[in-house]
Amino acid sequence: MAKILIPTPLRQYTEKRDAVEVPGTTVGEALGSLTSAYADLRKQLYNDEGKLRSFVNVYVNDEDIRYLSKEATPLKDGDTVSIVPSIAGGSRGY
Amino acid sequence: MIRIDRAAWDVMVSHARSTFPNECCGAMLGTNDGETKTVQVAIPLENAFAGVQHERYELRPEDLLKADREARARGLDLIGIFHSHPDCDAYFSETDLKNSCPWYSFVVLSIKNGEFDHANSFLPNMEQTEAVREELVY
Repeated sequence: MAKILIPTPLRQYTEKRDAVEVPGTTVGEALGSLTSAYADLRKQLYNDEGKLRSFVNVYVNDEDIRYLSKEATPLKDGDTVSIVPSIAGGSRGY
Repeated sequence: MIRIDRAAWDVMVSHARSTFPNECCGAMLGTNDGETKTVQVAIPLENAFAGVQHERYELRPEDLLKADREARARGLDLIGIFHSHPDCDAYFSETDLKNSCPWYSFVVLSIKNGEFDHANSFLPNMEQTEAVREELVY
């Protein structure tokens, strides 16, 4: 089981829980378990093509899965998965 | 509505002034009772944009992860992001919109000639196509 930490604005979809323990041997499986249990969370994390939204980064412990094996990144018992937004911007482009 | 406590607001303005003429950025921690978000702590973060920072900013996800952990440790929530627009108004630009996240409030501080001028808060949508203004009290 891995623990997924839920960002505050998404806890409205997880019965106010700030962390959820889910089964899964990879990040993709764990996120699948999470969004199966809390269906309304799915559209927050995934687009209509079933891909993680552009502003969603996922970390396993302190590692960004983009630099591991992405959603195929393996999980072991006790791992903590964090959902972290990707944010940038700037005045140019008004 | 988002309300920013004085101490947090002072940190945000100070960070925006000290980084002028570049854009600054940071995280806002606090509470949300469903109607009002209250920012109690502002954490200045480094602008990680690799180019000219006068008109761009980028937050490192690792820094946001640390901010979220700090919020949890303090019994608070990560509820928003702030950044500055040097020598221009506090609008939500196309660049801001296309690189936003719908889960948080985005406070923009206008800094003109190195001094705070005005600020606005925005709530972007899921598709990053629109952001509505949110009442901001500071």
